[in-house]
Amino acid sequence: MLKMIPAIIMTAMLSQNFILVQFLGICPFLGVSKNIKNAFGMGLAVTVVMFIATLITYPLYTYLLKPLGFDYMEIIVFIFVIASLVQVIEIILKKTSKPLYEAMGIYLPLITTNCAVLGVTELVLTSELVTGLFDACCYGLFGGLGFTLAIVLMSGMREKLDTTRVPRPLEGFPITMLLACFMAMAFSMF
Amino acid sequence: MYNLLNAEFTPVEHVLIVVGIMLVVALVFGFLIMVVSKKFAVEVDEREETVLGCLAGANCGGCGKAGCAALARSLVEGKGNIDDCPVTDKENKMKIAEVLGVEYSGGGEFIYVVCCGGGANAKDRNDYIGEAGCIRQSMVGSGRKLCSTACLGEGSCVAVCDNGAIEVSEGVAYINKDKCIKCGKCAKTCPKLIISKIPASAVVYVKCSTKCRGKEVMDACTKGCIGCGICAKNCEQKAITIVDNLPVIDYDKCVGCGYCVEKCPRKVIHFVNEDRDDAVLD
Repeated sequence: MLKMIPAIIMTAMLSQNFILVQFLGICPFLGVSKNIKNAFGMGLAVTVVMFIATLITYPLYTYLLKPLGFDYMEIIVFIFVIASLVQVIEIILKKTSKPLYEAMGIYLPLITTNCAVLGVTELVLTSELVTGLFDACCYGLFGGLGFTLAIVLMSGMREKLDTTRVPRPLEGFPITMLLACFMAMAFSMF
Repeated sequence: MYNLLNAEFTPVEHVLIVVGIMLVVALVFGFLIMVVSKKFAVEVDEREETVLGCLAGANCGGCGKAGCAALARSLVEGKGNIDDCPVTDKENKMKIAEVLGVEYSGGGEFIYVVCCGGGANAKDRNDYIGEAGCIRQSMVGSGRKLCSTACLGEGSCVAVCDNGAIEVSEGVAYINKDKCIKCGKCAKTCPKLIISKIPASAVVYVKCSTKCRGKEVMDACTKGCIGCGICAKNCEQKAITIVDNLPVIDYDKCVGCGYCVEKCPRKVIHFVNEDRDDAVLD
């Protein structure tokens, strides 16, 4: 079981990076990557939710839905679980850590509809690397860290872009898309 | 349990089980959320909820806060300004003011000014032969001027103004404050986005919009801001900050002393009142 961990880390973080290789969770990747601080906050929020979501949905699927033959209900049940979890985390954060809650602000509720989170819960069910709950949680955690990596890299480059002269027709969003394209090409080399 | 796993379900049973699963998941998480929200309840100012209800709920971040909830909180704490929200309509803003027990006049008074003093002072990069109008001209390589934020002086704003409040003199548009009804059409029309809204109480404004660095500005225009920061250093109220090589005036702090106008080496900061402007700058 432990032997697979390095492989899972490499896969989840780099070779199957959620944003740049699987193109999941593009919305926050483009929307919240204007500065490093926000991008980092968003990345961490996604990581936490991914980890906890996998922790709950994996057993739910393996021990309840699959044996009963209701595995086609996975998506609707998972959405339910993720949305509730985000809500719970938000309430807890609001009470326990006001600064973190304020730093995450609107991004936390936005994660509810982040397809990278739904993506990871689905992927661990079919991935050959994942053999148990521990593996699944690892996949979730490092998938989230991979997400953070990509979004922080992107925001760093966008900060640099703000102070560079960009050809007029490419200013703003077009150059960002090009940037994302080159990053995806680099990551697909793994 | 064993029987259940191997049983062939009839369609009715199947539907019932699906509904059952959803119901159980819903109940479990509903209960969880209920318990957590009770246990981790944070005391919220009642007014905050009311204010949040009145805000547009677009969560656009136009106010500079992280969403409507954050603005509502800062409003209740007395830090924010209702006018920070560009989306909420006047009626709701009145309601918010009522809840908070503050005076609200229905939007601060403001005026429009053209933030460019270039005209003949801004060099042309090339000739332009084609259809008249700034909008048309800016479609071709963003216009004939070397400076990317220079007023083209082709009068697209003049054409759109219903009150004849704008005229182009010496290659730069000028807005007559007495005739202007503050409709904002010119600001939306200008392809260079150099017509900006400043408070009516403002005494000075920055008559340049370039965000380029000093040397590039020197090459392009004799009336361009080079971002030297002398105005910011000389401002006793600390009302000026340099953002992207351009001074930004905080009109809440500005007392209108006019030091910045006198000190500016490029004569970029001007008085809103032209008489005072002429007296100092000429």
